[in-house]
Amino acid sequence: MLLKTRQSRGAIIPTASMADIVFLLIIFFVLTFNVDVDKAQVALPKTNLRFEVPKKSAVISVTEAGQIRVSSGEETSTTVSGYEDVLAFAAEQVARDADKAFILKADSRVPYQTIDRILDSLKQARASVIYLLSDQETVEGAGQGG
Amino acid sequence: MKMTKRTVSDEIPTSSMADITFLLIIFFMVTNTFAATRGLDFAVPKEERNTQTIEKQESVLLSVHPGGRFEADGRAIRLDEILDYLKPKLERDPLKPVIIRPDPESSYGDMVRVFDVLRQGKDKGVEVRNISIPTQREIEQFWY
Repeated sequence: MLLKTRQSRGAIIPTASMADIVFLLIIFFVLTFNVDVDKAQVALPKTNLRFEVPKKSAVISVTEAGQIRVSSGEETSTTVSGYEDVLAFAAEQVARDADKAFILKADSRVPYQTIDRILDSLKQARASVIYLLSDQETVEGAGQGG
Repeated sequence: MKMTKRTVSDEIPTSSMADITFLLIIFFMVTNTFAATRGLDFAVPKEERNTQTIEKQESVLLSVHPGGRFEADGRAIRLDEILDYLKPKLERDPLKPVIIRPDPESSYGDMVRVFDVLRQGKDKGVEVRNISIPTQREIEQFWY
């Protein structure tokens, strides 16, 4: 009796498209790649209006504890000891590029007098544009207060 | 004598391609940050001598007090009432300066909320063109 030969199925997962998928993912990450120059953890104020900040802007961050860090936007931020250092840093950045934008990344709970001193330093250094970094206001939180 | 001919494969070995690309993906995933890169902007006058002197009666003073209390020209006001308060004044004088003066002990977040409300005025038919946030030093030098 002629027995039917058994057909064996190969247990192979097709991986031909793997490279395409992985390259697409790489392209996505390369395009969105953005190294955070300042890793200070802050609770940003919430606003309805938000505009994109220019890349390579100088960053001044203020934590809730009042720690101030500065970065030119090209290297990791460093802690400064006082407002005189902020003024010196801002003056140096403006001397290099008169149109340099500054980002103020401050915790919303910081007393305004700290921010006031930093804004004053930036004004004295002749900074042209300052961005107040913020998170998007949610619908529930909008329009309350007073 | 038996001669065996050794054949050389003309295929490029791609078996390690997936490993390399996955390593690249892991690198980008770990180092990539979708950082908050948006915020409110304000332009600073370049030359202090070019800044105009504002008479008290010509401007609107918005005070920010500790605890999230706000005042407009000395009267308590809610955030959502600020634009309604400014509307008739700005209709008479579209360039009327609006000064935000936060108390040193008030929170930075409250100042930003007021600034945000004023900036949103344009979309709500109450464009505030002249917003000023003087610093304490400027107040001591120029305040009347």
